[in-house]
Amino acid sequence: MSRRPPRGEYIETDTGNKVARKATLVGTQNIMLGGKTVIQPEVMIRGDLIRTIQASSQSASGAPPNNTAVSIGRYCFLSRGCCLRPPGRLYKGTFTYMPLRMGDHVFVGPGSVIQAASVGSHVHIGTNVVVGEFAIIKDYVRILDGTVVPPNMVIPSLSIVAGQPARLIGEVPEGGHEAFELRDLYKTVGNNPQPAPS
Amino acid sequence: MSSKRHSILPPVSQSGPKPPVHFSSSITIADSALLIGTNLIVIHSESVIHPRAKLDSLAGRITVGRRCIVHERATLGAVGTSGKITEAAVTLGDYVTVEVGASIEAGETVIGEGTVVGVGARVGAGAVVGKHCTLTPHTEIAAGEVVPDFTVVYSNGMRRTDKRGVAELKNKGQARQIDVLRRMIPSNPAKFA
Repeated sequence: MSRRPPRGEYIETDTGNKVARKATLVGTQNIMLGGKTVIQPEVMIRGDLIRTIQASSQSASGAPPNNTAVSIGRYCFLSRGCCLRPPGRLYKGTFTYMPLRMGDHVFVGPGSVIQAASVGSHVHIGTNVVVGEFAIIKDYVRILDGTVVPPNMVIPSLSIVAGQPARLIGEVPEGGHEAFELRDLYKTVGNNPQPAPS
Repeated sequence: MSSKRHSILPPVSQSGPKPPVHFSSSITIADSALLIGTNLIVIHSESVIHPRAKLDSLAGRITVGRRCIVHERATLGAVGTSGKITEAAVTLGDYVTVEVGASIEAGETVIGEGTVVGVGARVGAGAVVGKHCTLTPHTEIAAGEVVPDFTVVYSNGMRRTDKRGVAELKNKGQARQIDVLRRMIPSNPAKFA
């Protein structure tokens, strides 16, 4: 008998990230995971699209260039088939990609494509959502299924948006914050998943 | 961990026949792009094919114009419900952008110069999309439909005409973007030859 455990569907890192073997991560050296993040199969993250122009303050100080293309906080959940890619635009006459920053407890639904500049913490993004380039999503935002968030849109905290293009349709009710917590969801996937607490 | 950590990038399954290709020497095509089918795939100069884009020439020839960008998971020449074989399955003009997960079905489908096919959009078989159109994300163009030049299709099929006159600027921006992508995406046209 081999003492080696059977190869699970997920790779579990020391910091608690659960990354599916069938996920497509391009440019892994430029993707930062905060820990306890779940990446399901068929997720695609484009870490190879790094910024080509450094911020002027950095280039002046001579610090080593920061090549992070996608940074993800703790307890994020990337569902099957979603795609994260850094947004790109013309800047001072040349084209450059900019980093995509994501906070903690962000849920990204299946089949969604995220090209935001920043996504806050405790954000719920539904199924088949498209977040356009350089959109800024603040904290505690709920984006309903099938929404198309146009490029450069700023979604304020505690709002609920839906539609094509996305419009504000409501606010997160008082006491509705707990629903954004993803700690329990984190435990239900991986190589030895636990049932969700009822 | 005793188990060897395998590459995070799973191999692309090369199923089906390897199609004949005609590439310009200046194109950028990612190693993990998927080219299948039996008919000729032509890619003109300076076009960029992102990883995991799928070009399927089973139902006819695929032509990609100059300075086009085909993003990841986009499908050119998807065999739709009709499934008939034609001379030219999909023809992209110059400066066309096909964004993430968009699908262009086979069957004499033409996309005009400078048109942007948005994320997850679907263009039906035999549709003719004019020049400098914008199809916003999740747009559906029915089979055989003709979309005039400078049309913006948005919000579940609403249409208007783009009167900004920025086509030239957009083409210039596309050229800049290709300059950057060429440095970022390791190109491997030899794999498909």
